[in-house]
Amino acid sequence: MCGIIGYIGDLHAADGGVSGDGGVSSETADETPGSVGEIVHRGLKNLEYRGYDSAGVALVGPTSGLTVAKRSGEVDRLTVPDVPDATLGVGHTRWSTHGPPTDANAHPHTDCAGDVAVVHNGIIENYEALKAELADHTFTSETDTEVIPHLIEEELASDPDADLLDAVRRVEDRLEGSYGICAVREDDDRIVVARRGSPLVLGRGENASFVASDVTAFLEHTRNVTYLEDGDVAALSPDGIEIFASGEPVEREIETVTWEADAAEKGGYEHYMRKEIHEQPTALRQTIAGRLDVDNGNVDLDVSFPPGFLADLEEIRIVACGTSYYAGRYAAQLFEELAGVRTSVEIASEYEFGAGRTPDRTLVVAVTQSGETADTLSAIRRANAAGARTFAVTNTLGSTVTREVDETAFIRAGPEIGVAATKTFASQVATLAMLAVSVGRDRGALAAADARSVLNDLQGLPGAVQQVLDEEKQVREAAREYQDSEAFFFVGRALGVPVALEGALKLKEISYDHAEGFAAGELKHGPLALVTPDTPVLAVLTEGSRAGETMNNVTEAQTRGAPALGCVSAGEAYNTLDTAFEVPDVGTVEPLVANVYLQLFAYHVANEKGRPIDKPRNLAKSVTVE
Amino acid sequence: MSDESGTAVILAAGEGRRLEPLTNRRPKPMVPVANRPLLEHVIDSVVAAGIDRIVLVVGYKQERIRNHFRDGNDWGVTIEYVEQSTQLGTGHAVLQAEPVVDGPFVVLNGDRIVDADAVSAVRDRLRDGDAPLVTVTAVEEPRDYGVVHLDGDRVTEIDEKPEGSVHTNRINAGVYGFSSAIFDAIRATNTAGELAITATLNDLAERDTVTSLGYGGRWLDVSNLWDVLTVNAALIHDSDHAREAPATGQRIGDTVTVADDVVLAGNVRVGPNATLSGATAVGSNVTIAANAVVENSVVFPDAVIGPGAVVRDAVVAGNAQIGPNATVVGGEATVVVGDAVHRDVTLGGVVGDNATIGGSATLTDGAVVGDGVRAEAGVVLDGRVESGAVVRRG
Repeated sequence: MCGIIGYIGDLHAADGGVSGDGGVSSETADETPGSVGEIVHRGLKNLEYRGYDSAGVALVGPTSGLTVAKRSGEVDRLTVPDVPDATLGVGHTRWSTHGPPTDANAHPHTDCAGDVAVVHNGIIENYEALKAELADHTFTSETDTEVIPHLIEEELASDPDADLLDAVRRVEDRLEGSYGICAVREDDDRIVVARRGSPLVLGRGENASFVASDVTAFLEHTRNVTYLEDGDVAALSPDGIEIFASGEPVEREIETVTWEADAAEKGGYEHYMRKEIHEQPTALRQTIAGRLDVDNGNVDLDVSFPPGFLADLEEIRIVACGTSYYAGRYAAQLFEELAGVRTSVEIASEYEFGAGRTPDRTLVVAVTQSGETADTLSAIRRANAAGARTFAVTNTLGSTVTREVDETAFIRAGPEIGVAATKTFASQVATLAMLAVSVGRDRGALAAADARSVLNDLQGLPGAVQQVLDEEKQVREAAREYQDSEAFFFVGRALGVPVALEGALKLKEISYDHAEGFAAGELKHGPLALVTPDTPVLAVLTEGSRAGETMNNVTEAQTRGAPALGCVSAGEAYNTLDTAFEVPDVGTVEPLVANVYLQLFAYHVANEKGRPIDKPRNLAKSVTVE
Repeated sequence: MSDESGTAVILAAGEGRRLEPLTNRRPKPMVPVANRPLLEHVIDSVVAAGIDRIVLVVGYKQERIRNHFRDGNDWGVTIEYVEQSTQLGTGHAVLQAEPVVDGPFVVLNGDRIVDADAVSAVRDRLRDGDAPLVTVTAVEEPRDYGVVHLDGDRVTEIDEKPEGSVHTNRINAGVYGFSSAIFDAIRATNTAGELAITATLNDLAERDTVTSLGYGGRWLDVSNLWDVLTVNAALIHDSDHAREAPATGQRIGDTVTVADDVVLAGNVRVGPNATLSGATAVGSNVTIAANAVVENSVVFPDAVIGPGAVVRDAVVAGNAQIGPNATVVGGEATVVVGDAVHRDVTLGGVVGDNATIGGSATLTDGAVVGDGVRAEAGVVLDGRVESGAVVRRG
């Protein structure tokens, strides 16, 4: 959620750019990299989608010493100070957890003397206890982060031989919680970083080193990266990077990032979200590419389980948050139906292994787009601790979750920038559906003919989604007609329930309207009291969502005067609907196709209202705190 | 983005009604040939000519274009978009680029494929300060195009689709070079109805010098449905242009025959004993089932060709389903487009987007099946079937 960038090197002095073997992207090739401040600032711009209610930088130069500038508001509003002699710098974009977004609470934070500056992602859980120990220090913010520079100051004061690296190592021993830290100090030509629980990645250019919470921050400079592991402390100096684990120097693998930073740019669209909605056919083709063996009714996901594990499987538990949780809810029904395994879905922050379960007969599946979602990682750690087999479904190669689980399937949706997840939901469900077929076939629970039918549906998914996208005009008109409603209710049954919940989440996330999703049968058990002529009901009325019964519930709402909109299977007609969106015939994934209408509806309602769709207030893309 | 390398404005706002049903859901420049949109082939030539800034004038179904080309980074260029919200002619389209164009620029049509030479020749002459420039090429049937009358290398008149006798085979190739003076000239052009760029050029030719540039290279135009097949074949046979398809994610069954004039997208599935040959392009996520025969055809993404189906000289659009043992007979046909009757064109048939052709159904004599059509098993289709129709037996 927050973003970190750090840079050290002689890029800013050179005319050309640095590169690893990947080279500098064409876009930046003829631009000079600019000053240290400008390089850091551009890194922050690249990260802006992760968090954006305040931003700041710290620059260090041999004569100027430490210069800090920070303020609340977007990165663009931050004026980076002109420090011509700066040789290194760190920057931070903040999304508030401790203390409101104010200038004082923005990172970097400094010690009493103003010699040490720290930026931090994550949460220091014992910061109140630590702060109590630092009674003679002056604190200027309400953040947990501020204890870190003061602790570093203490360590440096108590041991005249200690340098910044020693001090960070010692302080790191005293911190509880999850964090990624970057520290800089006047008269020290290094950036010292530490990782525990929050992602930090190092960039290794020829003439420059970088550290960031996400590779997109520095991808224009180098593609050679090293992902730090929990407990690692690293020092970035003009001579290169040293990494330590438990005080000992260690080597960490250098990986090459192959995807394009450009792929994360929004091109001709006014919002990433709309671009990503329209990318769904392409993303889904990638998701299923080479994985469907329709003739044999098999799936090739390139994952393996110990012999006999799937046959003896008692339960699948899916852990996830937000949109990924709804993808899990969709998949759970498919696992029960296709794989014949009892499946439950838990909100990751609520997950406990629980009683009455056999760890070695339980598969815990984490669904997370970023692979860095703190709640989901924490759930997976609880599952690992209990001895369960763990599995991840994620979009992000090299992400933390892939290192925490036994096996991973990638959804291959490509980078998603819009805070509101769209294409990754579709690709998550498609990947989980393939996993369900794979597990079902392996267990002998699914006949080849039934598997073929599901695989045929999956293969038809990209074309069906394109058909829905072609109807965008109809959705835009409906959004215009209903945008001023008091509230929106989304209903469905069976596979339509997770889609109703997801449809409501999308709308509330980006339009700030009151929106709720319900199992259609529940309407009459309470929520019907909320229904008025000013609360449209949007229903999933496709195959796989018990459309006939759902329509009865829709009629109950219509009787109370509510307008009704439905996503209806091709060839079916519900003449009483005020608006019907046609869903092509793709069987068990029809509700997933219906969801595309709901995405477009949410987008156009929010767009009509002029909302900042890609950066909804109070939300961030990758939620790396619990 | 330096002035040295220049700017190209590509007109891609048009609908392309003559290519219905293929243009019901995509603008004509996005009709794929050799697995890539027409417009992408045009952009390739612009990029190969060393131009690094492209302005696309978009309108009809512009999301398809924006979504595919984005900001141009995949092509190593900067692509910007301007919108022509109502299609009022090519001159009006050029005018939309005025706010983003500064200095001389090349103009191309987004649905006509030319070599990079045509583009660089215009760009070089623009550097010398010559404008306006009109590229002229020779074709066998000049009467379908804008016939160009010359005096030396000066254009005296461009005669759009002349009715009377024609004594030259030189036509307007649709690649122009302009300075920003063209915008005032377009505004000064008096026309009733559509504002064609050729009308402005004819006005200018009366007063000023409009210079012609001869061009003898490849000039591929998709005016009619059957041109999709000929242009596709020309591109596939032109080895310089047949970009290697990414080989990832293909699933090709046993004993499948794939001739070397077939291009397969990365993510296609071909069942056992299928035969693919004769300048065929198969798009992403297409399934060709066991024993199917596909010949001289263009298959758009997501389509499914069922077991044993025979598809010859056909265009199968996106997500269309061809049932088991269905047949597109292939060969020459007489096709009616609007009021015009075209005899002896090679077109087995066209199946529109999302249409379903039932098992053992037959398309014959260049049948054009609209999008979303549902044709039941065993029906025989010829002529035009309107989009959304249901065709039953009996």
